[in-house]
Amino acid sequence: MVTPSAQQRVIVVGGGLAGLAATIRIAESGMPVDLFSLVPVKRSHSVCAQGGINACNKIARQQGYSEYEHFDETLYGGDFLQHQPPVYEMAQWAPKIIDLFDRMGVPFNRTSEGQRALRLFGGSLYKRTHFSGATTGQQLMYALDEQTRRYEAEGKVNKYEFWEFLRPLMDDQGVCCGIVAQDLRTMQIRAFRGDAVVMATGGPGLVFGKSTNSVMCTGAAASRCFQAGAKYGNPEFIQVHPTAIPGADKLRLMSESARGEGGRVWVPAKKDAEGRWQPHPESGRDPRQIPTEERWYFLEEKYPAYGNIVPRDIATREIFDTCMKGFGVGGGNMVYLDLSHKSREELETKLGGIIEIYRKFVGEDPVEVPMKIFPGVHYSMGGLWTQYSPNRKYDEIAKKLREINDPIEARNLPVQKRNNEILQRNYEIDQQIADLRDKGGSDDEVQKLEDSKQTPEKLEPYVSLADLHGKDALPVGMDPDAPNNMMTNIPGLYAFGEVNYQYHGGTRLGANALLSCTFDGLFCGRSVVNFVRERAHTPAASLPSSIFDKGVEAEESRMKQLVESSGGENPYEIAKELGLEMTASSTVIKTGPRLEQSLNKLEELRDRYSRISLSDSGFWTNQNLSWARAVGDMIALADPIVRGGLAREESRGSHYRTDFLGRDDSRFLKTTVAEFDASTGRSKISFEEVERGLVGPRVRDYSTTKKSKAQVPAPTSADDPKQSPRVSDPNADVSGARDVRAPGDSEKVSS
Amino acid sequence: MIQSNDDTDLATDTRGHAANGKGPSGARTIRVRIKRADSHGKNVRWEEFKVDLPSAGERDGAINVIACLQQIASNPVTVDGTRSTPVTYESGCLEEVCGSCTMVINGKVRQACSCLVDDYAPNDGDLITLEPMSKFPVVRDLWVDRSRLFKALASVKAWVPIDGTYDLGEGPEETPDEQQTRYKLSTCMSCGCCLEACPQYTLEEDESKFDESFVGAAVISQARYFNMHETGATMKKQRLDTLAGPGGINNCGNSQNCVKVCPKEIPLTESIAAMGRSVTLHRIKEFFSGR
Amino acid sequence: MTNDQSFMNKHHFLLRRLHSLTGIVPIGLFLIGHLTTNSSIIWGAINGRATHAMDPELVEGVGKATAGQVGTFQHEVTFINESVPFLILIEITLWLSIAFHSILGIYYARTGKANTKRYEYQGNWRYTLQRISGYVGILFIVYHVATLRWGWTWLIPGGTKWDYEYASSTLAMALKGSETGDWTFLGVLVSLLYLLGVTMLVFHFANGLWTAAITWGVTITAKAQRNWGYVCAALGAGLMAAGWGALFGFLFVDVQAAKDIEEEMLRKKSADIVEPEAVSMIPATEHTLVAIEA
Repeated sequence: MVTPSAQQRVIVVGGGLAGLAATIRIAESGMPVDLFSLVPVKRSHSVCAQGGINACNKIARQQGYSEYEHFDETLYGGDFLQHQPPVYEMAQWAPKIIDLFDRMGVPFNRTSEGQRALRLFGGSLYKRTHFSGATTGQQLMYALDEQTRRYEAEGKVNKYEFWEFLRPLMDDQGVCCGIVAQDLRTMQIRAFRGDAVVMATGGPGLVFGKSTNSVMCTGAAASRCFQAGAKYGNPEFIQVHPTAIPGADKLRLMSESARGEGGRVWVPAKKDAEGRWQPHPESGRDPRQIPTEERWYFLEEKYPAYGNIVPRDIATREIFDTCMKGFGVGGGNMVYLDLSHKSREELETKLGGIIEIYRKFVGEDPVEVPMKIFPGVHYSMGGLWTQYSPNRKYDEIAKKLREINDPIEARNLPVQKRNNEILQRNYEIDQQIADLRDKGGSDDEVQKLEDSKQTPEKLEPYVSLADLHGKDALPVGMDPDAPNNMMTNIPGLYAFGEVNYQYHGGTRLGANALLSCTFDGLFCGRSVVNFVRERAHTPAASLPSSIFDKGVEAEESRMKQLVESSGGENPYEIAKELGLEMTASSTVIKTGPRLEQSLNKLEELRDRYSRISLSDSGFWTNQNLSWARAVGDMIALADPIVRGGLAREESRGSHYRTDFLGRDDSRFLKTTVAEFDASTGRSKISFEEVERGLVGPRVRDYSTTKKSKAQVPAPTSADDPKQSPRVSDPNADVSGARDVRAPGDSEKVSS
Repeated sequence: MIQSNDDTDLATDTRGHAANGKGPSGARTIRVRIKRADSHGKNVRWEEFKVDLPSAGERDGAINVIACLQQIASNPVTVDGTRSTPVTYESGCLEEVCGSCTMVINGKVRQACSCLVDDYAPNDGDLITLEPMSKFPVVRDLWVDRSRLFKALASVKAWVPIDGTYDLGEGPEETPDEQQTRYKLSTCMSCGCCLEACPQYTLEEDESKFDESFVGAAVISQARYFNMHETGATMKKQRLDTLAGPGGINNCGNSQNCVKVCPKEIPLTESIAAMGRSVTLHRIKEFFSGR
Repeated sequence: MTNDQSFMNKHHFLLRRLHSLTGIVPIGLFLIGHLTTNSSIIWGAINGRATHAMDPELVEGVGKATAGQVGTFQHEVTFINESVPFLILIEITLWLSIAFHSILGIYYARTGKANTKRYEYQGNWRYTLQRISGYVGILFIVYHVATLRWGWTWLIPGGTKWDYEYASSTLAMALKGSETGDWTFLGVLVSLLYLLGVTMLVFHFANGLWTAAITWGVTITAKAQRNWGYVCAALGAGLMAAGWGALFGFLFVDVQAAKDIEEEMLRKKSADIVEPEAVSMIPATEHTLVAIEA
C-alpha cells in the first residue's frame, strides 16, 4: 500500500447524514477532509427524516427475521430494480450502524427493560425500525455532526459552511481533482484541490416545486456533476410520500411511523345496496362524529396483510385514486390519517416530533382529531450513477443461480407480457365502467363489463440465494477494499446518500434512507481512502494550477452572465412553472403524451431561462444569484427525469404509467442511464443490466404476505384491480391484525 | 380511475386544506416591514412590502412568513413603488427542525417558518415586522452569523468520545426515563432563540471576546446532555471546568427567558440548574481532593 | 481561554459564588434581623413586659401601646449597642460584605442588557428588577447609614442627630422631617425614600434567594424552582410587612411621647435597674443579628 501523501486531502460536498458519515470515516483514517455545505451542517436536510432506521435486531431475529430478509424486503419494495450486491452489503451492515449510533449517544427510544425499542414500518411485517421519537434523522445527524465537530476541533476536518459547490474539476486524464465553490457571503469563487471528491448533496425535491424537501434540495449539485459528464441513474424514479400536509411554501412530511405505530388511513364513505363504497353525500362532518361503518379504511381493505404500511408508492396511488373518485375529505384532495384512538402518552413519546409539526402548522391536535393529509414529492431513488465491486463469492453464486433461473425466466417473460396486456385491458374496462356510471348506465351493463375482465396468469417462482445457501451472511455483497464503491463514472468523484442512485430501485422502503446514507459514508468512505492512497504518486496538489484557474474563470463568467442578463424573465416564475410541470407529468401517474408535453415545456423554460434578469445584481451575499443559477441546473436535471420516464415503457415501483401497466422485465429490468449531451444541452437515455444474481424478480404484491421461498407460487399481480379487494368486511378487526405483528408473536409471519 | 396528475395536482391544488377552522379566511393584503442592512451596521434601513394573501379556499395550506418572503423575492417592490432586491435570509427545512430561519418577528425571536400569518396578521392591512437577531453580527438583511454558537459547542466538547466508527458492539443501556430526558435535550437545533432572548447574552463581534461572554442556555444544556451519557461523561470534568469559568454557568442571570422562547420546549432552566449543581459539586470535590 | 487572564477571570468562579453567598450570609440574615427588630415599633404594642418597669403614670399618659412599642424598640437598641460583644468586628464584616456584594453586583449587572420591553415575562421582570433594586438598594443603604450612623445630619430635613438612646424619637423626627414632629414636604420625601429602599432591598433579597438556589443547583426541576419560589415569596412578603410596618410605626409614633419614654428608660438605666426577664424577650441569636442598629 502506498502511504498517503501528506498533501493529499478529500473534499466532501454536503453535510447531511451521508456527507458527515463519510467525513468522519475518512478523517478517522488520517486523511484531512474539506467539508463543503450550503448551510451549517447541523441544518442539513437529513434533520427532516422522522420515522426511523431499519436494521435486523435481536428481537426480530428471534422471530425469523434476518439481514437476508431485510435485503430481500428492500429488493421487493424496490421492484427488483437494484443492483443486489450493494443492497446485500447494506443490510448486513445495518445492525452495526445502529450499534455505532448507539455508542455515539443517539437517544433511541427504549423499552421498559432498557433495550432499543422498535416500530413497524412500511414494507415489512417485522418490527425492525429503530427510532428516536419522530425526529430520528435529526438525532442521527446530530450525532454525526458532533463527531465531525470533534474532528474539526482536532484539526482533521475543515468546514466550509455557506459555500456552494459549482462544478467538479478533472485533470487531463479525466480524474476528478477538485471543485470550484463559491462563498455565499462574500461571493468569492475559488477552486479547491482534492484527491477525491464525495458528492453527498441529497435529492432534487425542488425540481418539483413544492416537496417535503428543504429549500436547498434543488438537485443543482448533482446536476452540475451530470453536466460535467457524470452519468445519472434511474432519474424517473421519484418517490411521492403518501402522507404530507400541504403548505404555501412546502409540503410537510407526516412520517410513515404514524402508520407504523397504528395510524389508520380512511375517508368518509357509505356503502350502497351492493355493498360498494360510495362517497358520503354529507361533507364537512366532524370526523370524530363519523360512525365506524361510514369510515372506509381503504388500505386495510385492499391490502389485508400489510394494511396501512404498504410501501409508499402503493399507498400514494391508493390515496390519489381514492380522492380522484370523489372520496376525499370534503370532496377535496385529502384523506384522514387517524391516530386519535391511541393514548396521548404513547403518541407524545413515540411521535412527539410530527404531532408538534401538525399542531404548529395546522392548528389541530392529532391526538384528538384525525389528521388531514395528501401525498407529496419526497425522495429521489435515482441519482448519480455509481459503480461498485462485488465481493469475492458473488460471481460464483450469481452464476449458479442464473443457470437455474434463466430457464424459469424464459418461461415467465412471455407470461408477464400477456399479463400486462390483461392489466392494460382491465384498466380500460375500468375506465369504461366509470364513464358508464357517470352516464347512469345500468348495473347489468356494468356487470357485463366487469365480467369481461381477465385474471392474469401466475408466474413460476425463482430460486434465490436463501434457497441454495440459507440466510446466513455470505461474502456476496460489496468488496470493502475496492476503491470504486459508489464512485461515479468520473474517477475520484463519488456519490453518497440520496444523490447516489443505488439501493432503493423502484421505490425506497421507509426508514431505509437513513441507513443507505450512513452506510455509504461509512462503508464507501474506506473506498475513498483507498482510492486516494492509490493515486499518491500524482496528488492533486501537484497538478498545474491552470486546471483550477480555468474552472474558476468559467464560473466567474457564468456568474457575470447571469448578473448582466436583462431579458426580463423572472427566475422565481420559471422555477414555479418548472415545479408545476414536473409534478403534473412525472410523479404519481405518468403517460407518454403527458411526458412529451413536458419535454416541450422544458424547451420553453430553457429558452426563457436564457433571458432571465436578476432583481439583485450585487456581488455581496446575493441569494438571488445563487437561486437563479440553481434554476438553470434544475431544468437540466428535469430533462432526464422526463426523458427517463418516457423511455421506460412499463410500470415499476414509483414509476407508474397508465399507458404501460405492469412490469416489463424483458425490456426494463434495467437501470436507466442518462448522459448529458453538452452539444445539445439535452440528455441521452440508455439502459443497462442490473446485477441481480441473488434473488429473482418476484411479482410485487402487498395484498398478501411476502413469499420469498421458491416453492410457494407467487400470486397474481398487485396492479390487477380485480385482485385488489380481498376483504369484504371493511370493519374487520384490523387492530387485531396489527397485534399479529407485535414482537413475541412470530408464527403468523410468513418466512 | 386516475387519469393524470393534472387533475389532482400535488403541489397546487389542495383545496380545503388551508381552512382549519381558525383565523381569517378572506383574501387580504398585509404589510411586511423588514429591517435590512448590507452588512453589520451598514446601510441599515426599514423597507415595507405588501403581500397578497389569497382567501382560505384558494390557498395551498397555511401561509407563513417564509411564504411572504418568497412572494417578496419574486417581485421585490416596496410599498412606495421602489424596486428593491429580494430579502436575504436563511432557511432550510421549513418545518422547525433545522433552526435556520430564526429571526425577530414583531419584536420576539422565533422561526419564520412556523410563524403563520393568520395568527400574526389576521386583518387586512395588518403589519408584520421582521428584524435580524440582534445578538449576532448581520451578514445581510435577516441573515446573521451564528458561528459563535457552534464554536461554543466545541468549547464544551459537545460530543461522545467514541473509539472510532468501528464495529464495537452496542452502546450503554439506559432506562426509558433517562432516554426521554436526553431525547428532549437532544432536540436542540442550535437556532439561537434562547440566546437572542437572554439579557445576559451579548452581541460580540470580536472573536476574542467569545470565551468571556456568556455562553448561553443552549450550550449549557448540551453539556448536560453529554454528561448524562455514560461514555460522554468521561469528559465531564473538562465540560464542567469550562462552564465554571468566565462566560460559563455563573453568568446566567436567571431571567429564564430562554425556556419561554425555546421552540422545542427544552427544559433549559432545568439544564442550567443541573449544571449549576454539577459545577458546584465539582468545585467542592476539587477543593478537597486537590485534583 | 486567554493566557493573560484578568483578576476577575482568574477567580471567576470564587468571586461569583462569594457574591451569591454574601447576599445571603451575612447581608440577608442581617436584613431579617434588622427588619424584625425595627418592626417592634409595631408589635411592641402588645408586649406588656416592656412597660413593667415604667412609671405607671407615664404609661397611662402616653398610652399603653405607645409605651410598649417605644419601650420594646429602645430595649432592643440598647441591648445591641451595649451588650453585643465584638460589635465593631461584626459591623466591619457586614460592611465589607455589602461593599463586596455591591461592587461585584454592579460589575455583573453591567454584563447584561435588560430586554423586558420585548420579552415581558414575569421572570424577566424579576431579572431586571433584581438589578434595579440592587442599584437603588446601594444608594439607600448609603443614605440610611450616612444619616443615622455617620451623622451626616445635613442630609436629614430638620437635621436630627442620631443617638441610640433616643432612637425612636430621632427616627420619627427624621422621617417626618422636623424637630417638632410635624410633617414637612421633605419629610414625606424621606419617608417615600425609605418605603422604596426597604421594598427594593426586600425584593432583592427574596428574589436573590430564589436565584441562588438555581445557581448553586439546589432546585433543579421547574417544579422545585416553583416550590422554592413560593417559599421565597412568603419570606419576602413577611419581610415586606415588617419593613413597611416599621416605617409606618415610626411615622406615627408621637415624638414627645417617645422622648418621654426614652428619658424614663435612661433614668431607670442610670439607677442600674435592668429587668432581667426582658433580656429573654427576644431570642439571643436575633440580638447578634441586629448588631448594627438603625
